[in-house]
Amino acid sequence: MSAEAPALELRGITKRFGPVVANDGIDFDLRPGEVHALLGENGAGKSTLMSILYGLYSPDEGEILVNGERVEVDSPSTAIELGVGMVHQHFMLVPVMSVTENIVLGNEPRRGALLDVRQGAREVRELSERYGLAVDPEALIEDVTVGTQQRVEILKTLYRDARILVLDEPTAVLTAQESAELFEVLRTLRDDGVAIVFISHKLGEVLEIADRVTVLRRGKKVDTVPAEGATEQSLARLMVGRDVLLRVEKSETAPGAPVLEVEDLHVRDDRGLEAVRGVSLEVRAGEIVALAGVDGNGQQELVEAIAGLRDADSGRVAIAGENVSGRGVRATVEAGVAHIAEDRQRRGLVLDFTLAENLALREYRSPPLSRRGWLNTGRINARARDLLEEYDVRGGGAGTLAASLSGGNQQKVCIAREIASNPRLLIAHQPTRGLDVGAIEFVHQRLVTERDQGRGILLVSLESDEVRSLADRILVIYEGRIVGEFPPDASEEELGVAMTGGTGRAAA
Amino acid sequence: MSPPGEPAELEVAGTPASRLAAYIRGGGVVVPLLTVTLAFLVGGLVVLLTGNDPIATYRAIFEGTGLQWLFPWVTGDDRTTAALNLQQTLIITTPLILVGLAVAFAFRAGLFNIGGQGQYIVGTIAAVWVGSSFEGMPGFLHIVLALVAACAAGAFWAGIAGFLKATVGANEVISTIMLNYIALWIGVYLFSLGGPLQNDRDPNLPVSNEVVESAHLPVFWGDPVLQGLHVGLFIALAAVVVFWLLLNRSTIGYEVRAVGFNPEAARYGGMSVAKNYVLVMAICGLFAGLAGALNVLGWQFRIATNDISASEIGFMGIAVALLGRNTAAGVVASALLFGALQSGTSQRNLDPSIFEPDLASNLTLIIQGLVVLIVSADVLVLGVLRRGRGLVRRRGRPRPTPAPEGEA
Amino acid sequence: MSPRQLGWLGIGLGVVAWYVTLPPLLVRTPLPSLVLAVAAVAAGVAATRGEDRRVGRGAIAAGLLGGIGAIVATRSGVGNLEKVFVWSALFAAMLRFATPLLFAALGGLMSERSGVINVGLEGMMLMGAFFGIFGADMFGSWVLGALAGIAAGGVLALVHAVFSIALRADQVVSGVAVNLLALGITGYVFVAHYGDQGTPGEVPRAPDVTLPGIKEIPFVGEVIGEVNLLTWVALLLVPLLALYLFRTPGGLRLRSVGEKPRAADSVGIPVLRTRYLAVIASGCLAGLGGVYLSVALVGSFNQGMTAGRGFIALAVVIFGAWRPFGALAGACLFGFSSAVAQRLPAFSESLAVLFQALPYVLVLIVVAGLIGRSRPPAAIGVPYVKE
Repeated sequence: MSAEAPALELRGITKRFGPVVANDGIDFDLRPGEVHALLGENGAGKSTLMSILYGLYSPDEGEILVNGERVEVDSPSTAIELGVGMVHQHFMLVPVMSVTENIVLGNEPRRGALLDVRQGAREVRELSERYGLAVDPEALIEDVTVGTQQRVEILKTLYRDARILVLDEPTAVLTAQESAELFEVLRTLRDDGVAIVFISHKLGEVLEIADRVTVLRRGKKVDTVPAEGATEQSLARLMVGRDVLLRVEKSETAPGAPVLEVEDLHVRDDRGLEAVRGVSLEVRAGEIVALAGVDGNGQQELVEAIAGLRDADSGRVAIAGENVSGRGVRATVEAGVAHIAEDRQRRGLVLDFTLAENLALREYRSPPLSRRGWLNTGRINARARDLLEEYDVRGGGAGTLAASLSGGNQQKVCIAREIASNPRLLIAHQPTRGLDVGAIEFVHQRLVTERDQGRGILLVSLESDEVRSLADRILVIYEGRIVGEFPPDASEEELGVAMTGGTGRAAA
Repeated sequence: MSPPGEPAELEVAGTPASRLAAYIRGGGVVVPLLTVTLAFLVGGLVVLLTGNDPIATYRAIFEGTGLQWLFPWVTGDDRTTAALNLQQTLIITTPLILVGLAVAFAFRAGLFNIGGQGQYIVGTIAAVWVGSSFEGMPGFLHIVLALVAACAAGAFWAGIAGFLKATVGANEVISTIMLNYIALWIGVYLFSLGGPLQNDRDPNLPVSNEVVESAHLPVFWGDPVLQGLHVGLFIALAAVVVFWLLLNRSTIGYEVRAVGFNPEAARYGGMSVAKNYVLVMAICGLFAGLAGALNVLGWQFRIATNDISASEIGFMGIAVALLGRNTAAGVVASALLFGALQSGTSQRNLDPSIFEPDLASNLTLIIQGLVVLIVSADVLVLGVLRRGRGLVRRRGRPRPTPAPEGEA
Repeated sequence: MSPRQLGWLGIGLGVVAWYVTLPPLLVRTPLPSLVLAVAAVAAGVAATRGEDRRVGRGAIAAGLLGGIGAIVATRSGVGNLEKVFVWSALFAAMLRFATPLLFAALGGLMSERSGVINVGLEGMMLMGAFFGIFGADMFGSWVLGALAGIAAGGVLALVHAVFSIALRADQVVSGVAVNLLALGITGYVFVAHYGDQGTPGEVPRAPDVTLPGIKEIPFVGEVIGEVNLLTWVALLLVPLLALYLFRTPGGLRLRSVGEKPRAADSVGIPVLRTRYLAVIASGCLAGLGGVYLSVALVGSFNQGMTAGRGFIALAVVIFGAWRPFGALAGACLFGFSSAVAQRLPAFSESLAVLFQALPYVLVLIVVAGLIGRSRPPAAIGVPYVKE
């Protein structure tokens, strides 16, 4: 123990949201010049704890000490004054403003009554050179990469003289290369005496960057251990509370005829930039093909083009031999495509509709759900009751609003609807995003069952664990191109390299 | 190059349709009643502040509405007067129901139809043109033709705004407002001195030709000469039924609601959001156009340029729809309320010795404004309601557990 | 040449196409104009292919309108044209029509830059118009009247602000509501106080400013030699507001609140307070626009006298891409169209009535043509809720 007072100390922090205890008597301390990782599953209470530190929430119990002195942090401004800087998971940047404007916002250099942009840019340049955070002060935020945006966020805290830096899941949005650069910067800052809290649920990178690791589970602190000597296994056990094995039971597959053929597809994104650049792929009946990749490499546009939601510039999409390119959603659905949308709340469900209405979203136009433009509400409700029972949806009946269900049950509704349309091809776009372990297992089992029934499944996922445990074949997409095909027993490293632009084993 | 993260604030607002749905679920019939009471209280305060007696004023307005006809103890001359006044109230209520539907239907689809006024105007123009032409046509056919023409005109006019939104993304709030003014000036032009549809008899009068007898809507209560109540009321009520069926029992309504709540999910469900915008606006215009036709064929029988610029019925439709929470029954009830308020404050029905009708009509506007304002703040009203319930509960039980926060 | 320059060239060609057929040039055949118009459209199409679609579409519209204008002009009698197109008078009238729009549009811009849609501009103008002249009449001073009008607009804006910011009402609905309120309040007080008489004839009015040296210069002098003081105030506000928005810390903060309030909040900028102030300022500006109408331009008040100017101002904000100088351009465009419409009775009484609709048609075209490209503040219309 060093004699020096810790830069930051949290004592017995408790925070309740109604009946939920998000933080339960958590102790945490941070020394100057160290990287202290805060590790835990989604919902373990990491973000809540840091929001308390940053003055976004006030704790129900407990106290905060900065440099040995008790402080009240009632707003972000106070936190900033105390030298706390926070890099949020969702960046707090204004897209249409320049790097400099974003950094100085709220703390602007002035000349008279006017904003001194030149002085601001000079300070930004100085800071960026000192810590190796390369940015162009004049560039607009919306024109720079996510990695650069993150550097701007860090510069924002440094500009405010932060000595305690909190990074909330900073690598979630970064490529491997960008992550490596970030770690370089963090080491520089640490050597400069900055105290860093690094929030993550990725074991590997925690071991790589942290000096100490504090593990949270269900709102409670489990332990604080030195990174040195810890292993992924030991941390995982602390984090989950048991040995983890995420493998899905599945039999060998015997793929049949192709249900999806994509040939040389080119698609633009909303901003008119080419997002899919000549993708060809095939999914056959009775197999799960996983499309793996870092977010934002054209998956969204590719899926939308296949599902008929987005027109392709060129190329061809065929469902069971029938060309559906550019024929729109309905024709694609009729050809046998079902689509579990990526964001169930925004795209998969109408939250203000009842479950019965949501379950009718695919087939409301055809008998028996409607005839000549008039709905048969009796049939819609009866069918909904059957599906809700079959898929074990809990928390409501046919007349319940979708909004009032839990995430896992909402996803079950989406899946029930899509499978009920008896598709040849099922596109599952991040089907387990934000679900708890039980729900994830349900979704995985169901996908395997549907595969065994002879449907073709295109699984789009960002999680390499999920990809490797479910897929029969893995395609890696990078910058709008398929850069490699792998068997399910490919190692995480192999996939990781391909997903970040390295060369694949068997480039397509 | 990937775009910066989605603004996290998006989830807070939701579409207007979705907010209003929460409002409907949250309050039942209590909230609208509370809203109206509050608005009338503030209105009474205005009356008081300007040196009048609010109770006497409201009483005079109520007597002007003729609603006391419904009380069995009102007899004799009072009853006769009340009947006459109630006929006026219902005559005004009829188009209000329809313009209310025109706004409500758009709201349910997540659109703002501020253009009820313009759609109403083109409806009146079409109706007066058809109604004053084709002399000698059989009555029933003539009426149907005029109604259809007015509906088509309204649908076309509103469809412009829907089309602009669907194709180039023009904000329907601004485009419908502009279409109001364009319709207004077209109307004024058509019937002004030297205008193409000015009447044939007196070149010094800026009015249209008279609707011929065969196109008059039959009067079923009261004296046709004294502006009795015409059958348009039943047409409006039939439109309410159509509104309900269309919205709740047809695939079109299903799509309209889906697009209104969540256009993105609707698109994922294979609906054409753009086509929906045009369709929805056209249906809205149809209702508003019909409102114009019923007024022209029911009791006005002609259009003067002054009437066009003085009418504010489209804006009243917004208040009607919002207070009626965009439901079929709610629209009827709030149309009756505003219809009564308007007829109760009219020159013809309000006793000027108690309160000046000119003032009263402005009081109506204030009350309408307050209603819309209070309805707009669903959070406020629901919050008051929730707190009210909390009070009740606290009285019942000594130690309440804190109610879980969140939308009811 | 960049697509942008090409677009502006197209706009210029479209204007010239029409201009040559009008006095004093009065080319009596449409042919040269049509050639110019086609060139303008071609330039517009070419510009649209490039990056700058906004200007390109403007050029296409200018070409089409210029061509149509030229055909109409060459078919009209020279005498009529000379009666209508007295350029100095037209431009002077344009300034008169543009002033209230400009005030309201600058107000709308403030509010929308902070993230609050202000459909209530119309009502705020109306409040300013009535209470401006009411105050001038009461206090016997147009300055005090103007202050009363500004305050009245600000108070109505405060209502809109409380409902749309604190109570998170839907901003459009709340805006519609305050419009109804303004109609009712102004009408009520007007009737209660003035009855059938209307406002008195000899209310103190905002003075015109005579510029001695400039007044004698031909054309320029006729346009700006004798202009109302409030018009100058409006014109002066344009660069001031631009300076504030884009060159001061306060402006930076205001814009950040309208673009990404959570980011602003995270660095300690008070989002709600900023929005309150912006909305109130917008009401004051719109109120001043109304004051101009009643206290400077007309000298009296009648019910609903703003006649949709507040709504046109909303379109002006969009046309000007949420920038003060853009708003100035938009206000002048709509002001000019009103000026032309006003002088058209020379042609035909009843057609002149129809041409009253011209500014509204223009707004419709502008909103339809431009809205796709000009980008509103990102957080507009979204109530802000702290975490």
